[in-house]
Amino acid sequence: MSTAPNTSNPLRPMVFMRFRPAWAYIDGIREFGRFFCETTFGTPALAQRACVVIQEALENAVKYSSNSPDSELELVIQSDGDRIEFSVSSLPDAAHIERLRAELAQQRTLDPEQAYVAAFLRASKEPSESARLGLARIRYEGGVELSIHEQEGGRVRVTATGKL
Amino acid sequence: MTDIAAIEIPRVEGLGIELILPATIKLTGMITKNGTNPDLAGFFRTVHGDAISRGLREVFVDVSRLTFVNSSAIRLFIDWASWIKNDKAPPYILRFVTSRRFTWQQTAFAALTSLMKDVLVVERVD
Repeated sequence: MSTAPNTSNPLRPMVFMRFRPAWAYIDGIREFGRFFCETTFGTPALAQRACVVIQEALENAVKYSSNSPDSELELVIQSDGDRIEFSVSSLPDAAHIERLRAELAQQRTLDPEQAYVAAFLRASKEPSESARLGLARIRYEGGVELSIHEQEGGRVRVTATGKL
Repeated sequence: MTDIAAIEIPRVEGLGIELILPATIKLTGMITKNGTNPDLAGFFRTVHGDAISRGLREVFVDVSRLTFVNSSAIRLFIDWASWIKNDKAPPYILRFVTSRRFTWQQTAFAALTSLMKDVLVVERVD
């Protein structure tokens, strides 16, 4: 299990949440993220971006979490004043990490808008497959870049970073 | 032949669905719940079939008060437009009524239009 980040700096707006990977929590956490971003930074547009990032990142994490007792999710929201960062840590099955890495590598070959349209095109041509729109949506609509970091014990942290 | 007003409306938590004659579906609220998409997909399929059987030239989908959706819901709109586009002779135009207040609508429907502009139209109410 990873540890909570340092929250001692009062000038660094931060949210840290740890919870079981349950679909039922996503709406509440997303709406808290909206409230937090709108209240802290005063920008409704950022609040909408936060909703997209949180919704899609948590859906992905819940969907692919393992059944291990250590599979709790962690969400962190923080800012240095110029940039905002959302990160979600989870314990997925190994096959998902490979898929995630491949999808992100494919995403990075295109700018966010192109990747978003390409994801729409793929979805339209593969009606019986999973949508796989979430990561492209996070990048384009969320206005962030994505990275993944593998952690101890098989955990993976997906980080979305963008301008405030 | 069915009538749009006679189509059974699925119950989806957080989402309001209203059928308005002659050919408008108004969606309000949010679509974020896991597992609701099969119900909505079936509903959209029924509306699609009804539009064809009635020979409608346009179907309006008013999402201007649909404040937030997940990507699985966006997928439903892609699928619906694809059903029309993949027909040999697109039977009707899908006209989305949107609001500029919600970012997801601007991005999603711009992307959808870029791929399927021959079968859908996006208009804004504000």
